[in-house]
Amino acid sequence: MSEADMVEAVSVLRDEVLDTVEHGDRDPPGTEVFDALLRALAVGGESVPGLDLALHDAVSRRLAWGDSEEVVLADAEMVFDRVLIAVERAFRDPADQMVVVEAATLVAVTVARVVALAAVARASRDRAARLREEMAQRQLREVLEKQKATIKRLEQDIEQADYSD
Amino acid sequence: MNAPQPQMRVAGESHVGKIRTHNEDSMIVDSVLGIYAVLDGMGGANAGDVASQMARDAMLEFVIQRRGQIAPRALLEGAIQAGSRAVYNAAAQHRERHGMGTTVVACFVLDPKYVWLAHVGDSRAYLLRQGRLQLLTRDHTIVEELVDRGLLSAEEAERHPYKNVLSRNLGARPDTRVDVIELRLEPGDRVLLCSDGLYGYAPVEAMQYLLGSGDAPEHVAHDLIELALRGGGGDNVSAIVIEAPPPPPSATQVVRTTGAVAWWQRRQRFLIVAKERGLTRNPIVRGLDANEALELVASSLCQAIYHDLEKSTGVNVWTFAQNLAGGWFERGGEWGPVRAMFDILATASRVVVDDIREGDAKLGFLLDVAVSRALVVAELALGGLLADKLRQVDTDLIELHTSLHDKFEPSAPAPAGTDDGLETGERFIDRPTIPFLRPERPVTNSGVSGEILEAIGKTITIARARTTPRAELIKQILGALETIASDGGGNFATAVLSARDLYGVRPVDDAGIMPLFDALDQARILTAASVHQIQASDTIRAKVLKALSSAHQRLVGATTGLALEAALPFAERLHEVQQVTSELRDQVAAAERRRAELESKHASSIDYSLPWGQRGTTEW
Repeated sequence: MSEADMVEAVSVLRDEVLDTVEHGDRDPPGTEVFDALLRALAVGGESVPGLDLALHDAVSRRLAWGDSEEVVLADAEMVFDRVLIAVERAFRDPADQMVVVEAATLVAVTVARVVALAAVARASRDRAARLREEMAQRQLREVLEKQKATIKRLEQDIEQADYSD
Repeated sequence: MNAPQPQMRVAGESHVGKIRTHNEDSMIVDSVLGIYAVLDGMGGANAGDVASQMARDAMLEFVIQRRGQIAPRALLEGAIQAGSRAVYNAAAQHRERHGMGTTVVACFVLDPKYVWLAHVGDSRAYLLRQGRLQLLTRDHTIVEELVDRGLLSAEEAERHPYKNVLSRNLGARPDTRVDVIELRLEPGDRVLLCSDGLYGYAPVEAMQYLLGSGDAPEHVAHDLIELALRGGGGDNVSAIVIEAPPPPPSATQVVRTTGAVAWWQRRQRFLIVAKERGLTRNPIVRGLDANEALELVASSLCQAIYHDLEKSTGVNVWTFAQNLAGGWFERGGEWGPVRAMFDILATASRVVVDDIREGDAKLGFLLDVAVSRALVVAELALGGLLADKLRQVDTDLIELHTSLHDKFEPSAPAPAGTDDGLETGERFIDRPTIPFLRPERPVTNSGVSGEILEAIGKTITIARARTTPRAELIKQILGALETIASDGGGNFATAVLSARDLYGVRPVDDAGIMPLFDALDQARILTAASVHQIQASDTIRAKVLKALSSAHQRLVGATTGLALEAALPFAERLHEVQQVTSELRDQVAAAERRRAELESKHASSIDYSLPWGQRGTTEW
C-alpha cells in the first residue's frame, strides 16, 4: 500500500480512535497525536522532519491552555491503544499493520519525550523562581529589622515625652 | 435495483449465490409507496421462488389498495397476512406446491423519522446507529422458541440439529402471527433488511464495517452481497440498505470544506491587500523584491491558514509565526517590525473574510471565527517567543545576581538531599504513587501465545546483538521490553518496576533525562528492525511488533511518569517559599502601619515652642 493510501486508510479510523462524537465541533483529546500519526505515515521512514516540532507545539499549546502533563500523556496512551486495536481490524495485510504500528510507536514515544522535557523545563523555571523568592526574602528581612529598630526608638521617644509631661 | 428517494436513500441487491441454481429470494424496493421487503422462499420443485414472488405481489397489491386508509402498523401487518393467504391458497390448489412458503422482513416508511418493521421467519433487520450494529428482529425458529421457554440453553441451541427449522412462515397457515416494531430514526441511521444467505455467510463485524463505511447505499448493498459470496455463498442472498437523511453539516465541516476553498480562492486578494498595506516595505523582507516578499510571507501565511482551516488545527500558522519571528529575532531584529508585519497580515485576512461575508453571510461568520482563531494562534506563538526572550534575560539576571551575592556574602553549602525539596535520605523514586498511571488497566497484549513469546525472545536476541558493547542502557531497556511484552497477564506494575530500574537516580534537567529518552528511542528502532529479521510469517511478525510496541509505549509512559514525579517537588518547594515570602510581606506591612501610627503619635507630642533641634523629632 502506498503512503498516500495508507494515510487515507488510517484517516478513516479517526472517529473510531478519537471521541469525535462526544466532543462535537471541538477537537477531542488526542487529536494532535492522531494528526501526528498521519503526518508520520505521510512522510515515512524513521526520522520524520517536523514531527518533533509539530508535537512540541501541539503539546505546548495544550499545556498553555491548562491541561496537565499527565492528561496529555494519558490521551496519547489512549490514542496509541485504540490505534493498535483499530489497525488489527482495519488492515488485512500484516505488513500494512506493521507500518502503522511502527509509526504509532514513534509518535507515542515523541509525545512522551516532549512531555518529559516540558516537565524538566518547568522544574528549571520553578528552581529559578525559588532563587528569586529567597533573594526577595533576604531583602524583606533586612527591611523588617530596620523597621523594628525604628519602632523601638519611636516607642522610647514617646515614653520619654509622656514622662516629661 | 436502485430506488433513490428525495430524502431517504435506499438500495437493494439480490444474488443467486455460488451453490444454488436459481434465486428463490424476492425483494420489494418501492420508494413511491415507501415499502421495502426481503422474502426468502422455500419448497421443492421451484416452489420457493413462486412462494416469495406470490407473497411479494400480494403484499404490494394490498399496500396499493389500502395505503392511507389504515394505520401504518395495520397496513404492514395486513400486507404480510395477504401474502401469507395467497401462498397458502396456491399451495392448497396445486398439489406439487404443497409445503411451499416464504419468510419476510419488511419495512414501511411513512416519514424519514419513523419506520415500521415487520418480520416472519428468519430474515432479519439490523440497525446501524453511530457506528454500532444492532439486530432488531428475533428469528422465528423452533430452537429460538425453546430457548425463550427456558427448555434449551444458548449453547445447546447453537448445536441443535433443527436450529434452522422455522416455527413461522408465510404459507403454512392462512393467517400467521407477525411481529411488528416501530422505530424512530436518527439522522444517518441505516437499516439493513436481509435474508439468511447474508448473515449466514458474512461475519457481523464485517457487515458493521461496510454499513458504517459512509459509502452510498447501492455500494454498501453490493459490497454486502460480495461479502456473503466470499464467505461461501451457499444460499441465495439479498440485502436492502435504507439510509435516513444525514445530519446537516456541522460548523467545523463547513469551515473545513466550503470555508477552506473560499479562502483559498481569494488568495490573490490577500496578496494585493498585504502589498497595499506595505508588507513589501517591512524591514523583515528588506533585500527581497516585492514578489519574493509576498510569496515568502503573505502567500505562506495564506497557505498555512488554508491548511489549518482544512484540518481544524493551528499547527501551520503556529509554525509560520515561529519561523518568521524566530528567524528575525535570531538575526538580532527588533520587535516593532514583527508587530507591524502581523498587523498587515491580520488586516489582509479581515479584508478577505469581509469579501466572503458579502457573498455568504453565514459562511463569512464561520470563517471570521476560524480565521480569528488562526490569528490568535499566531499571536500565541509570538507571545511564546517573547516569553522565551524574557525568560532568558531573567535567568541571566538571576545568575549574575547570585554570582555577585556569592562573591561578597559566601554562604554555607546546603545539606545534601535538600536541594530538590526532598527530605534528607529520601529519593523521589521511593515515593509510592505515580499520578497518571492506572495500575488496574491491563496491557493490550495480554495472553500472548508460546509461539509469539518465542518470536519475541528471538527479536530481542537479534536486537541485543546489534547494540554496541558499551550500550548498557539500551541492553537494559531491551531486557525490560522482553519482560513487559512477555508478561501475558501483565499490567502496568511490570512496566513501572522496569522504569524505576532504568531511571535510577538522575538530575532533573536535560542532561539527566535526554540520554534515557535517546536510549529508549534507539531501542525502539532496533526492535522494529529486528522484527523483520526473525524467521516467521508476516502475521507472527506483526503480532510480535505489536506486543513489543505496546511494551515500549508502557515503558516510556512509566518513565515519563517518573520524570514528572521528579519535577513535582520543585513546584511544591516553590509554593512553600512563596508562602514564606507572603508572610514576610505581611509582617513588613504591619510594621509599616505600626511605624506610621507611632510617628503620628510622636509628632503630636512635640513641643513646638522649643527651638528646632530640641523638639525631639525622629529623622527618617
